[in-house]
Amino acid sequence: MVALRPYAWLCGTVGAVLVLIGLVLFVSFFAYHAPNSQPAIPTGPVGFYFVAFAGCALVGWGGSLLATARRPAAGRSIGSVTAFALVLMALYRLAAWVVGDYYAFAGEVLRVEAALFLLLALAFLWLRPAGVVAEVS
Amino acid sequence: MLRWLATLAIAALLLLTAMLPSTSIGRRGVEAELRADIPHAVGAVGERLPDFTLPDLEGTPVRLADFRGHPVLLTFERSVDW
Repeated sequence: MVALRPYAWLCGTVGAVLVLIGLVLFVSFFAYHAPNSQPAIPTGPVGFYFVAFAGCALVGWGGSLLATARRPAAGRSIGSVTAFALVLMALYRLAAWVVGDYYAFAGEVLRVEAALFLLLALAFLWLRPAGVVAEVS
Repeated sequence: MLRWLATLAIAALLLLTAMLPSTSIGRRGVEAELRADIPHAVGAVGERLPDFTLPDLEGTPVRLADFRGHPVLLTFERSVDW
């Protein structure tokens, strides 16, 4: 039986970071449309549309993790899908590292982030609580 | 069993992440870094550019030497936002 406290801590920390990043991305859409704004991300109106979309999704994802941090025993599945999503995020970062345009923008940060996400995926995979063997109604 | 398989897959990706720069597909990233230094490699301000031919927006080849004697402003821009 895996102790629940490390899993709750992991969900709480990652969830809070995701919510924070999500809110920043959401606000960046409106900041981009402010007069004379200088976008921090080199993209245009369509790009910021999807940045805001990603921000909203991150708020939802992070919120789910924060809820799991409060009741970790009931949140095995969110650990599984979070690990899967982190692997997906690492995969496209590795592909982006190979593409020169993204490498020129972010450099080795892409590979460092990919490694971090893969390690986090391992943590979610091994710290999540055991599956329910039987339920009593 | 499934967890061990997932762990093996993630470990393989971690290994790929570490080894990527030394693989053949990883060289493009290094080339991009080198391309960033091309302006310094071509020449300094005030030096004569070597002649070259590039396609214009319609695909017609345009040679720098054709503009000899005229002021030339040369810009490189992306054609789409990303």
